[in-house]
Amino acid sequence: MTTYIARRLLTVIPTLLGVLLAVFLMVRLAPGDPAQLLAGEFATPETLADIRQRFGLDQPWHVQLALYAANVARGDLGQSVRTRKPVSYELSQYFPNTLRLTLGAMLVALLIGIPAGILAALRPGTIFDLLAMLGALIGVSMPVFWFGLMAILIFSVQLGWFPVAGTGTLWHLVLPAITLGTGTAAILARMTRSAMLEVLSQDYIRTARAKGLAGRVVVFKHALRNALIPVVTITGLQFGGLLEGAVITETVFAWPGIGQLLVGSILARDYPVVQGAVLLIAVAFILINLVVDLLYGAIDPRIRYD
Amino acid sequence: MRFRLLAALALGLGLSVGLAQTRTLVIAQGTDPTSLDAPLATDSPSATVVNHVVETLFNYTPEGKIEPLLVERYSFSSDRKVLTLTLRKGIKFHDGTELNAEAVKFNLERLVSQELASSFAFLLRGRVSAIETPDPLTVRLRMPEPFAPVLAHLTHSSTGIQSPAAIRRLGAGYRDNPVGTGPYKFDRWQKGQFVELVRNDDYWGKKPAIERLRFLAVPEATTRMALVETGQAHVAVRVPPQDVQRLSARPEIDVVTTPSVRTIFLYFNQTKKPFDDVRVRKAINHAINKEEIVRFVLGGFGRASDAPISPGIFGYTKIGSYDYNPDLARQLLAQAGFNAQNPLRFTLSSPNGRYLQDIRVAEAIQSQLRAVGVQAQIQTLEWGAYLAASNQPRERNEFQVAMLGWGTVTGDADYGLFGLFHSSQHAPNGFNRGFYANPRLDRILEQARVATNPQARQQLYRSAMQIIYNDAPWVFLHAEQQVTAIRREVQGFVVHPTERLIASGASFRTSAER
Repeated sequence: MTTYIARRLLTVIPTLLGVLLAVFLMVRLAPGDPAQLLAGEFATPETLADIRQRFGLDQPWHVQLALYAANVARGDLGQSVRTRKPVSYELSQYFPNTLRLTLGAMLVALLIGIPAGILAALRPGTIFDLLAMLGALIGVSMPVFWFGLMAILIFSVQLGWFPVAGTGTLWHLVLPAITLGTGTAAILARMTRSAMLEVLSQDYIRTARAKGLAGRVVVFKHALRNALIPVVTITGLQFGGLLEGAVITETVFAWPGIGQLLVGSILARDYPVVQGAVLLIAVAFILINLVVDLLYGAIDPRIRYD
Repeated sequence: MRFRLLAALALGLGLSVGLAQTRTLVIAQGTDPTSLDAPLATDSPSATVVNHVVETLFNYTPEGKIEPLLVERYSFSSDRKVLTLTLRKGIKFHDGTELNAEAVKFNLERLVSQELASSFAFLLRGRVSAIETPDPLTVRLRMPEPFAPVLAHLTHSSTGIQSPAAIRRLGAGYRDNPVGTGPYKFDRWQKGQFVELVRNDDYWGKKPAIERLRFLAVPEATTRMALVETGQAHVAVRVPPQDVQRLSARPEIDVVTTPSVRTIFLYFNQTKKPFDDVRVRKAINHAINKEEIVRFVLGGFGRASDAPISPGIFGYTKIGSYDYNPDLARQLLAQAGFNAQNPLRFTLSSPNGRYLQDIRVAEAIQSQLRAVGVQAQIQTLEWGAYLAASNQPRERNEFQVAMLGWGTVTGDADYGLFGLFHSSQHAPNGFNRGFYANPRLDRILEQARVATNPQARQQLYRSAMQIIYNDAPWVFLHAEQQVTAIRREVQGFVVHPTERLIASGASFRTSAER
């Protein structure tokens, strides 16, 4: 187990290097001069030269890349061009908020998606099944942006139940978490339903019922545990999707997360922050996948790591 | 939620005396400030916050006047190369240190320093050669040549005077902790959420009525409007055109429009044929219906230009605009050799998403030009690439006709005219990106820099703008307008033409006044 984790962690390094190179090239291949964007439309040539020199933008690409890689290895992600603060500081200010939002959304998704999927699978073809799956279809098709604005207009402006935007209390989290979590809830509901349906038709379920076990035990102990493997996989992958959806949700609700930071930095060509944020998201994604892999073993003892 | 509670509490306690108001004024801006260090606060949300904390030597009033602020009086030497400033006595920074001549020298030298790399270094770089401090309240600025607009440049927020002691003590941390002499003191900054300021009870001038200001960062316009509608914010910037009617209909909200100093225009690249021909330039000016664009594309939130700069800028006078006259446009084009058999074709470059409805404006122009037989093809580039392309030297500049905007943020015509129309300012050295040149205009713009008599300068700028109008190096389109939603319980809140918000003079109305 330990060697497995160590091996998995080692394979993370080339992945990260790949991400680093891809992001580095991507932001530089995009048209536009960061110094010009920073200085505004009518900056003087001297100002542009000052800014280029200040941020090393006058160096050739390969020199910039080598410097960057060496600094990252030392844990230095560089300095934001816009705010002139260390990138790691910027990320530390925004990432915890994204984490809270994503976890909140995941909680919403799990609390709605899995029970709805189980209930729909237990009563296939009934009106409940139909409604649950229709709801899932709507949930998955609805644009996050529109859903968020509607939520604000109805629950904040009309009814006055929740604050419009910002963070601070648990109340602030409710609308953004529901907005972001609904799509994932829908996917989880559909996934749980089909996995459960498949397991429920297996022979051992019939055996379990035949030997007189209570319905609850059959469903939760025998069926659900076996249906969980694909659900866990999807949940892990959805985490990545949530980080992506968080960009939009954060904009709508003025939620100070990494998505808002990223969008602002891309528009301003703040290379160091864009690189740092993407790197951080990649690391988060890789770690989540690792956790999912390890969870398989806990759910299904037949899966071994050696 | 919390605000409502507070408001209810305040009313419940019968807060009828309008003296000290403990409520917080909440202002929803589009983005979080990037820096609160005056020379680095280059965007409007940053400048807005900084302006409440840090003061400049001179003040540019919303009416377009330049008045002494930290300075008590000033004088120019007879050769106009020395500006002597006498500072007000007894002003202290928020950290208790004294505002003196040394502090002014420190700040102005810091602004132009290469190490800081401020994009507003140009305001003083090359214009002021030495700063002397003969006594603690006197500052002498020596200039290599007379430069009358220097007063206007000293109103710009990047020239704000900040505490040298705090800058030295805090180092890089200073940008999160501005220390000035202003009516409000910095309190805290929750990154990505809000900046909060608290009243400076030792302020040297008129003390503000409201105790706290909170500037929220809310990028999505609909969300900003919802904040004002629910009373969770008192002011919201940039009301989208489609929301104006709905918000105005609410009795508790005022929708206020303020002209901006930003002018939107098309420029002709005069090194490209046929744009070297004034008849073609005039024809295109006559073929474009600016009023229609303002009304239908901008939803009425603009002002058709009647001069190269906007009202509210020192030196502005109404010059006139090319009236919409398609027949005259066709005639002028025919004289220049274009007709149905040989139509004028060119590429119209436009940014997309930089200015209010920019690409829609370009599309409207395209269809209006089609009506006089001109075929314009719209080209749009990502903003960074667009700027770089428009800033190429003449032999490599591919733009033919292109849209740009210019904000005369100093409030002085020099900044709006010299850099854009003087022949020494051809790209990439300056901002004259159409390579326009007129020696007579050059001379007048040079004289206006040297003249220190305001009336004489005003007169010179009038003649300059008349020449520009006659030469038609631009299509004069419109000036943008700022549309702000303000709740009725707030009075005295100012939206400045330089896109800054000023809350220092604001107060909450008591319920009886409402």
